[in-house]
Amino acid sequence: MEIKTRLSSDVPKRLGLTLLMLLLAVVMVIPFLWMISTSLKTPAQVFEYPIKWIPANPTWEHHVKVWTGPKSFGVYYWNSLKISIIGMVGATFLSAFAAYGFARIQFKGRNALFMLYLSMMMVPPQVLFVPKFLMFEWAGIYNTHLALILPGLFTIFGVFMLRQFFLSIPNEITESAFIDGAGHFRIFFRLILPLAKPALATLAIIDFSWQWNDYENALVFLIDEKLYTVPLGLQNFILENTVDYNGMMAAASAGILPMIAVFAIGQRYIIQGLTNSAVKG
Amino acid sequence: MTNNWMKRQRLLGYIFIGPSMLGVLLFFLIPALYSFGLMFTNYKFMNPNVEFVGLDNIIRLFKDPMFYLSLKNTAVFLLAVPVSIAFGFVVAVVLNQKIYLKKLLRGLYFMPYITSGVAVAFVWMLLFHPTQGPINGLLRSIGFDNPPGWLSTTTSSMFAIDIIWVWFLLGYNMIIYLAALQEVSPELLEAAKIDGAKRGQILRKIIWPLVSPTTFLLLITGLIMTIKTFGIIQAITHGGPGNSTTILSLYVYQNAFRYYDMGYASTLSWALFIVILLITLVQWIGQKRWVHY
Repeated sequence: MEIKTRLSSDVPKRLGLTLLMLLLAVVMVIPFLWMISTSLKTPAQVFEYPIKWIPANPTWEHHVKVWTGPKSFGVYYWNSLKISIIGMVGATFLSAFAAYGFARIQFKGRNALFMLYLSMMMVPPQVLFVPKFLMFEWAGIYNTHLALILPGLFTIFGVFMLRQFFLSIPNEITESAFIDGAGHFRIFFRLILPLAKPALATLAIIDFSWQWNDYENALVFLIDEKLYTVPLGLQNFILENTVDYNGMMAAASAGILPMIAVFAIGQRYIIQGLTNSAVKG
Repeated sequence: MTNNWMKRQRLLGYIFIGPSMLGVLLFFLIPALYSFGLMFTNYKFMNPNVEFVGLDNIIRLFKDPMFYLSLKNTAVFLLAVPVSIAFGFVVAVVLNQKIYLKKLLRGLYFMPYITSGVAVAFVWMLLFHPTQGPINGLLRSIGFDNPPGWLSTTTSSMFAIDIIWVWFLLGYNMIIYLAALQEVSPELLEAAKIDGAKRGQILRKIIWPLVSPTTFLLLITGLIMTIKTFGIIQAITHGGPGNSTTILSLYVYQNAFRYYDMGYASTLSWALFIVILLITLVQWIGQKRWVHY
């Protein structure tokens, strides 16, 4: 009875707060809405004011332009997918291996190595661009996808995140397996990895989004247009179509929509991973 | 026996860490040392005449007005971090109340952080269009006859970038605060209410101090992350108009890959490292001193 009266008096306040927050949330996503809306308009409608959010006669021609023709986004998508997926799978597994070593195996030099990882986190990418450029040039992988894929296989953040997770797995779980004579490899593959599935998924999704959005490395290490990833292709499109605002927004949609999809599917994992690594890390 | 066991453990440790270690050596440690060496040379890409120049690059850096301008621009860029933390805190506190559609709202606020890359920067570029953009359209319609030029004038461009950055970081700050607010004990809040504390008082005197470790962490990580960023600025302004949005990290990039002045670019990049080091030192000291648990 008491609960019911409390609830009913709360409802208007709850509704009010919800509406207010919804309004502000719409402001947050306006850039996305404006992008999609503009991509479906004609040039004359772009800067009409007040804004018509749903254009009178939506046109798909700008999206068609982005996806067909000699500089189709299809190529950029393929390049980005290839680099991001190889990087994501590799980085997740290599991080899991290293994280297990740091979390579960006692050996001399472990702490020193871990300190090295820690210190490398502080080195900004700007310090590494020039030497990597020169090393890749020397090794013959500058201006190839390998220049992005190979470094993409390693993430120090991932090692930290998974180490944290492995440390939280109670020792009792692995102890009985040890007594039964299982070695580290068996324990890692049979016990730890299955337990760590959510953490691995989190790392994989976050890493994928980093690699997909990575503009800076692609900018430094790629020059051939046919090797371009989506962010570079997008930049190229915008440089070449400086007044085609509808086309620009259609191209931007092409760049963003996969991330929105990944976000919608993996939101739970992403949020969990980021909070765990920030609050408990 | 134990000796053997220890040897085996050590070998296994290296096997597990080895592949990742190889990457850290090849793509972090060796390049970092290489860059450190380049700092003392006049190496220009494709120019075979490389000389050891001692501290020349460092002296040049201290005399370079662009270096100081880039530091100033970086400082203005960093202002976005505390502003975004404040907004993130407010949104998190409200979302932590009894409210409908909590998950949807959280997702909407968080969306910019996860989807943003260069693509969104281009959207903002059009939104900020000084004469035709919708933002100035709105401002004119509500009576501002001379709205700012946003990205197109030297005095406003850095602040326009700040707005984009506040928008981008807000969702991340909110998510982390939401997690921190979960840890605030409801009994404590209930007790404060019973003692007659007002909402504002509870927020200022109880919640804010309790989440201060989170605030501190967000500030440090936000500053470090922001200082390393140059992608969105390179994409939409290339550091202009003039040099008004050339932040230090972008200035490194320009020296390296526009002027191919690798020696000087390396020197600048280590200056960037020192700024990060200072922020990290503040973190180490501050963790002990300023955070009230």
